[in-house]
Amino acid sequence: MTDRYDRKLFSLSGFSVGGKRSLFCSLLLLLSVILSGAGAVSAAEIKFPELSGRVVDQANILSPSEEEQLTAIVAGVEQKSTDQIVIVTVGSLQGVTIEDYGVQLGRHWGIGQAGKDNGVLLIVAPNERKVRIEVGYGLEGVLPDALAGLIIQRRILPFFKKGDLPGGIRAGVEDIKDALLGQKEEVLLRAKKPEKQIDPYLPLIFFAFWLVPFVYFISSVSRDRQVSGRVPGGVVILPGSYGGAADGWRGTGGFSRTSGGGFSGGGGSFGGGGASGSW
Amino acid sequence: MSFVVSSIRFFIIAGLLCSLSVLSGCGINNIPTKEEQAKAAWSNVLNQYQRRAELIPNLIETVKGFAAQEEKVFKEVVEARAKATSLQLPKDITTNPEAFQQFQKIQSQLSGALGRLIAVSERYPDLKSSQNFLTLQTQLEGTENRIAVARKDYIDAVKRYNTELKTIPGRWWKSLVYPDSELMETFTVSEENLKVPKVQF
Repeated sequence: MTDRYDRKLFSLSGFSVGGKRSLFCSLLLLLSVILSGAGAVSAAEIKFPELSGRVVDQANILSPSEEEQLTAIVAGVEQKSTDQIVIVTVGSLQGVTIEDYGVQLGRHWGIGQAGKDNGVLLIVAPNERKVRIEVGYGLEGVLPDALAGLIIQRRILPFFKKGDLPGGIRAGVEDIKDALLGQKEEVLLRAKKPEKQIDPYLPLIFFAFWLVPFVYFISSVSRDRQVSGRVPGGVVILPGSYGGAADGWRGTGGFSRTSGGGFSGGGGSFGGGGASGSW
Repeated sequence: MSFVVSSIRFFIIAGLLCSLSVLSGCGINNIPTKEEQAKAAWSNVLNQYQRRAELIPNLIETVKGFAAQEEKVFKEVVEARAKATSLQLPKDITTNPEAFQQFQKIQSQLSGALGRLIAVSERYPDLKSSQNFLTLQTQLEGTENRIAVARKDYIDAVKRYNTELKTIPGRWWKSLVYPDSELMETFTVSEENLKVPKVQF
């Protein structure tokens, strides 16, 4: 950009070369181009969410209690190994690939300690249905692409495919934690274990579990009409249990909160390590 | 007499040192600093391409186990890799447009051949579901992504360096102190099969 302007100006000054004065003018012009060019380069193209804590839930898929649990897990990792893990859900990738977004976000926030570059980002973009584990330079050895890919394919995506985003994030974070703390074998074992057969039926069982008392309750209410005042109390149970067991898209997660206040990146950098997946 | 000479020498050296420290404030070190940064970014680009080349033999072996009849694609990849690894890079590659174009062409040929190999692999369900292939594919994707990042970093570093050379006061410093510093070559967008991400730090 600056380049093209440069050349343009040079040709302009070429037309007007007539003495020292025009030379001075073109120098001034050049100087102003330098100054304006600096402004143009630093203009941001991607708008990143603010680093409000170790869990940045821009897409609002986590409940406050889930955020707290995740924050506790990753804070524990930093205490033990100084590795920084940040979980981020984004509303939109703004037209770039998740790989591109991940590197830039990691560098923008400076996740990981400076010099060690030991940061990991777990990025979930529910609207683009993409997930990525972005690994800082310094952790490419303990969390290589192949392991990150395995965690995504075998542990995170099965949950995501069922619509259980918090469950997948939880499983992924547990695995990343174990990998960083040197328990790679456990991660591999879990990833290679055949999926439990009960898994697909679990929401159904939960649903049935709550359906029976609910039907019973409704029928009992409609039977003796004089207790209709209890109806709202009975209805309240259903969204609570449904949201927790089957779907995870809770209505209550509509606000984000800053958990783990005072958290900031240590100045680590990223070089494109990690793996991605989509569901 | 000797006292006068030595004191004069002292003042000259002190004056030089003072003026040097003042000069460093107005950008006399910018050209070498940015040049070194661009060179470091370039060696990272080379590293990542090298890493990709090292992955290929394993990948081919794995694909061969399931899709032995795809000889044409194997041959293409092997040849492209041989070309890429045997290419003697001249020392001045970053300032030599021809050598740089050559490097870029050969690497993008290898990218193309690899892309076809992966596309062919999609046709073999057994291969696609084999753990070994999945691992290699993840590694290859990771490496391609690192190449993209390294290229982007190099492009940015060269942009900063070239801008320094072309603009004031860098132009003056170049003509006065660093006449040997040349503009560096950068990857051209048109020959990119990798998407160049936008810049923001």
